[in-house]
Amino acid sequence: MLQGFMRKFSGKQSPKDTAKRRLQFALVYDKLEINDTTLSSLQNDIVEVISKYFEIDTESLQLEVQRDNDLSALVFNTPILCVKKNRDFSRESSKK
Amino acid sequence: MEGKIIVVTSGKGGVGKTTATASLGAALALEGNRVAVIDMDIGLRNLDVVLGLENRIVFNIVDVVNKRCNLNQAIIRDRRIENLFLVPASQSDNKDVLTAIGVQRVAKMLKSEFDYILMDSPAGIERGFENSVVAADEAIVICTPDVSSVRDADRVIGLLYSRSITPKLIVNRIVPDMVAKGNMLSHEDVMDVLSIDLLGLVPMDDQVVISTNTGMPLVMHNQSPAGQAFRRIARRINGEVDLPIQVPSARVGMWNKISQKLGLNR
Repeated sequence: MLQGFMRKFSGKQSPKDTAKRRLQFALVYDKLEINDTTLSSLQNDIVEVISKYFEIDTESLQLEVQRDNDLSALVFNTPILCVKKNRDFSRESSKK
Repeated sequence: MEGKIIVVTSGKGGVGKTTATASLGAALALEGNRVAVIDMDIGLRNLDVVLGLENRIVFNIVDVVNKRCNLNQAIIRDRRIENLFLVPASQSDNKDVLTAIGVQRVAKMLKSEFDYILMDSPAGIERGFENSVVAADEAIVICTPDVSSVRDADRVIGLLYSRSITPKLIVNRIVPDMVAKGNMLSHEDVMDVLSIDLLGLVPMDDQVVISTNTGMPLVMHNQSPAGQAFRRIARRINGEVDLPIQVPSARVGMWNKISQKLGLNR
């Protein structure tokens, strides 16, 4: 009781509340974790799609997952060298 | 009628999978079912010693799956509890000797002979876990009220969901005094974090160690709080779904009661 009393008035969390809060955070972060193979194949796919429309510098592009408290964002950063002007749509579609 | 295969798993090691499998198997047999408990922890067998059947092993589950013997040759009958049977693991092989197809073939044979087949899964989420889960109809996840165990349980629950199995949870080793003082996660906290159905709550109990030491099934002790908790869980598995879940309670002193009322333990 004394412990509880002290906690109540010192504003400290009880160990079980700390445990619960840490767990909830850990589980959220665990679920956001993406393994390297997924990330690199995603990067390849994105490069492939963008390359159809733009000339990009494949060397200096970056793909990362930015995490915030309650949401995460996929950030793809690449310099565009130039826009591909004469895209041949018929060739593109027949390639598939 | 075909039997039901239930896998007992946890992710983390040392939370009480083997004790739970042995206890639930024994309790289900005491309820009048034909029960087989299967040790899937290949290379690190222990279900045999927990049940006190270690000196009667001739063949094991690896022999059965790899067709070196018949299923019936590997099954050990418990002499104290009628209708309780054990298929031990091999101690010399590693977990890769079993194949999913082989396990499924044996599982089919077991289902035709028993009402309940409990698979004691190894710790971890690798091959051994996969083999234990491959033929399962239902799953029980065991966790203790601590951060690492709950986190691992969450991972395993996710893996079970991805196999279209909806697991149920047993929270093991609850210390009511610590929960009452706010020093240990309560089962409500664990449920909040994991969002999964609860199957039962098992208190910390010295008798578990004593029973393991003597090889006497825990559920045969009428004085053991953990043993009694497992018996109630077995009844719930066996169809008494409405049997209320007892929350392990501390011997609450006057001061603790007052402080609970005042919300000082929160």
